[in-house]
Amino acid sequence: MLDLIPFGAVDPMAVSIVAAHIQAIIGAYTNIQSERSLPDYALIATRNQYDAAKILKALHGESQGAPFKLGLLQEDLCLPILTYVYGESQLGGKVAVISIHRLIDPRPEIIYERAAKIGIHEVGHMIGLEHCRGIDCLMHFSKQLDQLDGQPLHFCSACEYEVSRRMKRLVRNGIGVTSQDQRSLEK
Amino acid sequence: MARNLNVLVVDDEETICISLSAWLAKEGFRVETASSGPAALERLSEKLFDLYLLDLKMPGMDGLELLTRIRAIQPDASAIMITAHGSIQTAVESMKNGAIDYLCKPFDPEELSLVMERAATNKALRDENVMLRMQLLEQQDAIFSGIVAQSQAMHAILSDIEEVAPSNAAVLITGETGVGKELVARVIHMRSEQSQGPFIAVNCGAQTETLLESELFGHERGAFTGAVKARRGLLEMANNGTLFLDEIGEISPKMQVNLLRALEEKKIQRVGGARPIETHFRLISATHRDLQQLRREALFREDFFYRINVFTIHIPPLRERVEDIPILADFFLQKYNQETRKRIEGFTQNALAILKSHSWPGNARELRNVIERVVVLARGRMIGSEELDFLKSRSVECQMENLTLKEAERGHIQVVLTSCGGNISQAAKKLGIDRVTLSRKMKRHQLNRD
Repeated sequence: MLDLIPFGAVDPMAVSIVAAHIQAIIGAYTNIQSERSLPDYALIATRNQYDAAKILKALHGESQGAPFKLGLLQEDLCLPILTYVYGESQLGGKVAVISIHRLIDPRPEIIYERAAKIGIHEVGHMIGLEHCRGIDCLMHFSKQLDQLDGQPLHFCSACEYEVSRRMKRLVRNGIGVTSQDQRSLEK
Repeated sequence: MARNLNVLVVDDEETICISLSAWLAKEGFRVETASSGPAALERLSEKLFDLYLLDLKMPGMDGLELLTRIRAIQPDASAIMITAHGSIQTAVESMKNGAIDYLCKPFDPEELSLVMERAATNKALRDENVMLRMQLLEQQDAIFSGIVAQSQAMHAILSDIEEVAPSNAAVLITGETGVGKELVARVIHMRSEQSQGPFIAVNCGAQTETLLESELFGHERGAFTGAVKARRGLLEMANNGTLFLDEIGEISPKMQVNLLRALEEKKIQRVGGARPIETHFRLISATHRDLQQLRREALFREDFFYRINVFTIHIPPLRERVEDIPILADFFLQKYNQETRKRIEGFTQNALAILKSHSWPGNARELRNVIERVVVLARGRMIGSEELDFLKSRSVECQMENLTLKEAERGHIQVVLTSCGGNISQAAKKLGIDRVTLSRKMKRHQLNRD
């Protein structure tokens, strides 16, 4: 159902953990793709950052692979109007991208957990969830890393219900849902 | 996060419009975009938005001009200006023109989140404010309808209110205790040009002179023992509103001078302060006393009397407008029905007769209290005469209770004089005082043998 695409050299452990968490928490079968080169077309040289919107546009234009795509970069992401973003996605769309550039911490497990949270958050947007007001929810907008660290690794009950409802609808409509997704949801 | 706010993003750069609208949609805002000022105005002809995010620099019509044009269509429009670094001055300019905030491109996500959060809160507060104002207007209408009147005298007062309210003239309201002087003052305020300002009511008779002075004029820190911090006076607080001075007849000549100066100069000085503070308010005063008499006795300054008495409204006592009693009683019945969640339908004919025959020394206030009491105790659907029996027994007691010593003395002398057929010697004997004392008291109370 979802292709996880590393751009450039990304810590393989981070990629695996993000994929495993998306699969476990959202219930979407996640396939790790082979590493691609950095998206030079999206580089804003003056800012030494990658334009997340351009990456989304490029991923959106790809017809191959799973219908949902999540890019993952070690490099910093931004939008022309925002100084940086941890991740960017289309609300109710098919593509998203996240960066672990700003998630730095001396303890790697913290970085992995942060990356997993951001990955799940962006996939949540992809399946149509907006930000949640509840601070104990993965769909809550974290302004800073300490807020992100304070979030649990799960949705609030309302968002969890929405995730489940929307995933079931995707299965019912047969939108890019594989037999693995079906099994994943049945669990 | 459903915020229920309609947002219009106006920027000539498509990528900005796309990324901003995508970001805001995730925050639960309903977002539309326009690529130029004219396009935004065209959108406005179809519908109004709760919030506008306007790029300051756009070809043709810039953000500032667009904001002015939007405000011409939607005066209460909220706008956030988006500007590039280096044009902070313009951003400040736009704030002066009514923008609620501005963002410098590129901005941090948390900054955008905070600004939008502030805007949403601002909108919610303004909506709440509009709602509260509407409720207030409804209450004001209720208060106006609270002047329940059937009598010609009260209708004349209502027409006086309509006439005098729009002017800025000082009004003196006279009448016995409990006739509703403050209610009339409030209605004048609501119908006046100062209605958006505060209505500050002060009971001048309830405080000592020094306390009243400090209350009215405020004081500076250290002005007197215990003045640990500066305090604004009620005259200052009444700025652009109405100051209602109840029991004006009780204030001392010294305070009259101070107030007269404040009214003449429209400036006050706090106690212990030297700085003049400007304040503009409409003055409405009220008294149950005969100010003319006080003036003659040199207890009330003539200049102050004429200053506060540009227009007089005299509210007759309830006993002189018996036709108002049933309608007032019914008004209070409905009010207390609502408060106590009872469904009492009305008064029996006998009950109404008792209400009409009572002298109501405490006027409408007493009537209100009586109705409150009977509603609380009532068991049936109608209030009967038996529920108002207590009125007969307490009539005399109640009359006395609501009178000042002076009024009681005057009333008692009059009763005794009448019972003695105007014979002063007999009356003096009955009262236990000598003729000279009685004559002096009669003169003071303006009583004659008849």
